[in-house]
Amino acid sequence: MKETSLKEIEKKTYMSYHQDGLIDIFVGIYVLLFGLGILLLTVTDFSTWFVIPAIFPAIMIPVWISAKKRITMPRIGYVRIGSRGASKLMAVFIGLMVAGLGTFMVFTFASRTQPWASMLRDLLISNGMIIIGIAAATISSLFAYTMGLKRLYAYGLLTLVLFFTGYFVAVPFEYLLVTIGLVIIINGFVLLMRFMRKYPLTQGDKKIVEESL
Amino acid sequence: MITTQLYVVESADFLFLQHQLQMTPGNLSSHLSKLEEAGYVEIVKEFIERKPHTALKLTKKGRNAFKEYQHNLKQVFNGLSE
Repeated sequence: MKETSLKEIEKKTYMSYHQDGLIDIFVGIYVLLFGLGILLLTVTDFSTWFVIPAIFPAIMIPVWISAKKRITMPRIGYVRIGSRGASKLMAVFIGLMVAGLGTFMVFTFASRTQPWASMLRDLLISNGMIIIGIAAATISSLFAYTMGLKRLYAYGLLTLVLFFTGYFVAVPFEYLLVTIGLVIIINGFVLLMRFMRKYPLTQGDKKIVEESL
Repeated sequence: MITTQLYVVESADFLFLQHQLQMTPGNLSSHLSKLEEAGYVEIVKEFIERKPHTALKLTKKGRNAFKEYQHNLKQVFNGLSE
């Protein structure tokens, strides 16, 4: 038995737990909320910047865990993946945070003293849409690679294409976020429907299984 | 296949194994009983949100046995390729 086949089984196990589309629905809602938040700011001058980033850890993660317990677990069972997979994901997350924060700090410090830095800052601000598109595509590709979820590559590509198009056609940023959020949510619901059809809820069977042990 | 599946995770329940391995409940149950008797699989009764839950995990003996089996199998295949 080759090491690669064990990795394949590990990957398949991990992927089977995310085939329900719940992660897509929640990430899509979050992106949509960001878009709607900016839209609200432009229309009513009401800022939601302090509320929306907090919604994810405070509300969405607990709701996602609860949905997993109510929808996914009764259908395909429960698995503890182990620390290796989780630590890999955490390493990517922390790496991204440190890289982002580090770049921001170096840049803020350098832009005060170095003329090249302030020039670069102006360049970045004027091409913000492209930068965000590339950053979003890179981040989703990193997560796609770590988690083995190929559809995250598609979301990254979609973001990149939309932001590039938005930059040249001058589509407002918030409309792009709303579009991306809606596409991810719809795909999530399609996956969820497919998952629920593939694994119908059979309470009786589960009881028999529990009793047989 | 049961030990291979349990080897790559920390623990899994009966339903998960059944779906992953595409085995009938009776078949899986009888295999698990044999593995438990051999001391390879541990059946852990726990509570998740106050509901009883049965988790299955490989014991240390089971993990070592799987590693040994993997090693032996590699040697057999290496021997065949020469």
